[in-house]
Amino acid sequence: MGYASSDLDQQLKKYKITHKEYEIILQLLGREPKDLEWPIFSALWSEHCSYKSSRFYLKKLFNKSDRVLEAFGENAGVIDLGEGEKVAFKMESHNHPSFIEPYQGAATGVGGIVRDILTMGARPVALANFLCFGEPSRMHKHVDGVVRGIGDYGNCVGIPMITGRTEFDSTFNDNVLVNALCVGLFGKNDPIVSSKARGTGNYVVYVGAKTGRDGVHGARMASESFNAADADKRPNIQIGDPFYEKLLIESFLEASKKQLFVAGQDMGAAGLISSSFEMASKGQVGMTLDLDLVPLRDENMTPEEILVSESQERMLVVCEPKKFSELQNLFDRWDLDAVMIGEVIEERKIKILVKGKVVVSIDPDILVENAPQFERPYESSLKTKKVIPKIQNLTESLSTLEASSKEWIYRQYDQRVGTQTVYDCHEEIGVLRLPSERFLGVALGGRARWMAEDPNKGGFNALFEPALQLILKGIEPLAATDCLNFGNPERPEIMGQFVEALEGMNSVAQTLSIPIISGNVSFYNETNRQNIIPMPTVGVVGLGHLKKLPSSFFSQEGETLWLLETKSSPLDFLKQIDQWIREHQPSYTRLVTKQGLSLAISRSVTKNIGAQITTTVNPWEESLYQVLVSLPPTITLKTTENIQCTSIGKLQSGPLTFEQETLDYSQIKKLRQQAWRQHFYGLS
Amino acid sequence: MSVKPIGVLQFPGSNCDHDVFKAIQRVHKKVRMLWHRDHLQIEDYAGFVVPGGFSYGDYLRSGALAAMSPAAKDLMEANKKNYPILGICNGFQVLCELKLLPGALLKNESLRFIDQWVHLKITNANKTWVKTEKTHLQLPIAHGQGRYYCSEETLKSLQDSRQIWLQYEENPNGSVMNIAGITNKDGNVCGLMPHPERATADWMGGTDGLCFF
Repeated sequence: MGYASSDLDQQLKKYKITHKEYEIILQLLGREPKDLEWPIFSALWSEHCSYKSSRFYLKKLFNKSDRVLEAFGENAGVIDLGEGEKVAFKMESHNHPSFIEPYQGAATGVGGIVRDILTMGARPVALANFLCFGEPSRMHKHVDGVVRGIGDYGNCVGIPMITGRTEFDSTFNDNVLVNALCVGLFGKNDPIVSSKARGTGNYVVYVGAKTGRDGVHGARMASESFNAADADKRPNIQIGDPFYEKLLIESFLEASKKQLFVAGQDMGAAGLISSSFEMASKGQVGMTLDLDLVPLRDENMTPEEILVSESQERMLVVCEPKKFSELQNLFDRWDLDAVMIGEVIEERKIKILVKGKVVVSIDPDILVENAPQFERPYESSLKTKKVIPKIQNLTESLSTLEASSKEWIYRQYDQRVGTQTVYDCHEEIGVLRLPSERFLGVALGGRARWMAEDPNKGGFNALFEPALQLILKGIEPLAATDCLNFGNPERPEIMGQFVEALEGMNSVAQTLSIPIISGNVSFYNETNRQNIIPMPTVGVVGLGHLKKLPSSFFSQEGETLWLLETKSSPLDFLKQIDQWIREHQPSYTRLVTKQGLSLAISRSVTKNIGAQITTTVNPWEESLYQVLVSLPPTITLKTTENIQCTSIGKLQSGPLTFEQETLDYSQIKKLRQQAWRQHFYGLS
Repeated sequence: MSVKPIGVLQFPGSNCDHDVFKAIQRVHKKVRMLWHRDHLQIEDYAGFVVPGGFSYGDYLRSGALAAMSPAAKDLMEANKKNYPILGICNGFQVLCELKLLPGALLKNESLRFIDQWVHLKITNANKTWVKTEKTHLQLPIAHGQGRYYCSEETLKSLQDSRQIWLQYEENPNGSVMNIAGITNKDGNVCGLMPHPERATADWMGGTDGLCFF
């Protein structure tokens, strides 16, 4: 019995499976797929779950070092910090949901990345976020919703937001980007939790909140381009409850510490399907799943809805029968369900039961290991020069959107819960103090301007800039995570952007030995045929080596202000600066970025300390790469073949005097706040 | 005789419990966690702290559900015996819900969560929890519902019996009379919105919180 071609077309369209993919399915199964197999293939072979367009390229990323304990195999990367400490971290996107429903989209983005870290057995200790919005006048609802969503979720679960970045570009008008990073710290001697199901006869246990209809087919939604009718997609949005997440964090970590389970996995994209199939496939085992046992919010849900629901705050664990009652008691103490819904079986099959009957029996590898992989055609990418408005003086330079104070955003985030925060969102990077009293730094990179101009240069910059930011604070970059946000990969010029950006990024990873150990790819950031500019965002984590961190704000009256500029290779520039910072341990360092020297200097002024500046460099425009350092007058830096060193002024008590203009701290602050309000006047 | 520990109450959703625990340890005092479902052995403790966070996810009202728990109910007994009780942020809200402190905490005037450092004036040198000669402190706040509110009558009685404990120098949230913290009449129960546990080391940005523990 075969499908009539029109029926088949309809079925393929409904489940977003191409004819080519259908052929592969026929080959793998030796027959046509039936019933629930359709949504299973649809979910696991979606771009979002299978990485079918990107896997080929992701494999090329540099991902090794002595410190890497886990890279890409599990839900997050893990690095060894020595002294018995290790951290898990990852950055993930939640772009499509955040455009359709900014509040819930952003909130569940935070929830999802927190569970990715939690799944590893690490306590989530820090958050960072990278946001991209369109033109301010069209973005009030999105800025408001996204910031509230992130704040309400992160504040409630009690994880501090330690750093963030916000970019604006008109290509984000109908497709905002919300990328969230989470860092988790393992307790001394705590194991890394594996997602490999094992042990025939072990129980498959569902823990956490109940399953509802929210987020049904979310993974599929995240793998398509948008059009005007996207209000219809609201039911695909997941609804988050940070209170349940907090209970899940505490109970899961307690159970992990007591080794009450042998494997665990977050029910993220494609919910129960992806978690069960991936756990079974990785563990080289089979699994039964009785859908009648899944705790439901709505008893009328169909088997298909139960399978693909992306309800939040749920996890799947595999536990030995003898430990099950202790596990159940533990979750009960935290008012959460822990329900046995299946068993690990030796036969390499996922067997799904409905009303006592096996309705699906399929080899998990067919869906996970044998998922299609494409080497999509690409051509040299489009390059667009962004028009940078000409700026003439300091007051003007402080009144732009780029220069505007983002305090309105980060003031809504708890930056200190956990009492480990050393550098919060006021600073250029986030820093935590580890139990060993060492500093752990987190810096973000990715700049719309350079990405639009040249994806290769932009990709290079996305990793180079945060690495340099860390170096400037006496922190050695150890590893990176990335969110690769791009348009429609079926378009060769978009695929070209992807390939070129990755090459740029990878060259930095290799040369500086910064392995890229986790992340995600977000394709199809395309609405009504308008693709976003390529926008890989990067998070770099590093370990401090100085007793005192250099600040990005002036503090030492009388010190000389130096401008260091790269002459040839940025990578050699960075190495030389690293050496000088170790040698001189400066009190102040700052990378010159948007709008060049004038803004970087203005932002460094404090209530008490300003500066007297005279310079021949164009202070209104950014050039790659410039660094500011203040040093006692007794120290002189000499220009080398890699670095141009110029003394451009002196730190003084009082205001900033720049060329003919004089502004003090409160004037600078006021201008930058006004600049924000001018663009977002509607937001209280 | 050994010194008794301070008990820190732990509710589902508390997220400053461990921070307070560490802060008390930092000043070398004994401390123990107390689970919300268990009754308190009051006599075993020197005093009690209700920490910040989102107990019960702020469902119903901030602090409302936590106030119904066995451990919170026992705080009423502890108060009758004049034990020192401190509520920080969400803990302050719980103490108001228990009526151990008068008034209530409403949504911030801006209707937004606020995280920032604030300058505080110590209006009443209550020594139950704060052992310092300082008259001004700098502490961080982080709350969405921190606007202290009470009736005019209550406000007058707060003033008359010198129960206004801490005041903001610059009002961040619209609190009545810039109130950041109050005490009960006897002075053994104190509540404040700022987080002293977040200002207990130089690298945190300040140490003014140390004198609370």
